[in-house]
Amino acid sequence: MAAPFTLRKIGVPPNSANLTEARRRVFDFFRAACRSIPTIMDIYNLQDVVAPSQLRFAISAQIRNNAHITDPKVIDLLLFKGMEELTDIVDHAKQRHHIIGQYVVGEGLVQNTGNKDQGRTGFLKNFYTSNYF
Amino acid sequence: MASLSTTSLSFKAPSTRISQVLRKGSSFQSVTFGRFTSSTSKSLRLQISCAAKAETVQKVSDIVKEQLALTADTPLTAESKFTALGADSLDTVEIVMALEEKFNISVEESDAQNITTIQEAADLIEDLVQKKPAA
Repeated sequence: MAAPFTLRKIGVPPNSANLTEARRRVFDFFRAACRSIPTIMDIYNLQDVVAPSQLRFAISAQIRNNAHITDPKVIDLLLFKGMEELTDIVDHAKQRHHIIGQYVVGEGLVQNTGNKDQGRTGFLKNFYTSNYF
Repeated sequence: MASLSTTSLSFKAPSTRISQVLRKGSSFQSVTFGRFTSSTSKSLRLQISCAAKAETVQKVSDIVKEQLALTADTPLTAESKFTALGADSLDTVEIVMALEEKFNISVEESDAQNITTIQEAADLIEDLVQKKPAA
């Protein structure tokens, strides 16, 4: 069995010098997050709800959201926020419904948009979008 | 056998193994290559130079297909590069993590940077599976 992965808390490192180093840090963060997934599933009892591959996809989707950023300092800050989030989750500072709501259902993987649009007619949809239809 | 086609391509990796084995002389049926004795009864030299089992390559291909959401009929050989299949660098890291989970191994960053094709990934996995102590 591979040695269990523990998230070591290190102090804030100095800013990345260039895009290559920022890129390397992004991958390191992604690896750390993926290796913490078994712990997370264990803490929040997500075994029946979601598969590890789906969580990996959710994490990579969040990273891809910001893939267009080119400033290393902005990337560093985003990584800092991401690391903070990951540390909170691993420390059990969040609760199960947070994880499920943020990374599985809702704005996560599964979209629950069915009920909102049910009662609307074509008239109302057009009305909400513009004056002229 | 399908393994014959890969022996020439992946020859550079196990060449050191072969030279070590030839030096050892008679005791080369021992621990390190015990896995291969069950596969074929051809000359041992062919067995040693076969770097990765076909089933490992198949499992890696399955994971790659699932990760990159490829359709079932895209041509996927052992030498396909991940970038040629439409993976960006984050996808490559994700594939390596999926392989880590599936095979229960731990890939170091320096090793992970060299993986560009399916065959290399399978070779690395075989290496690590062999090296880790049997649980």
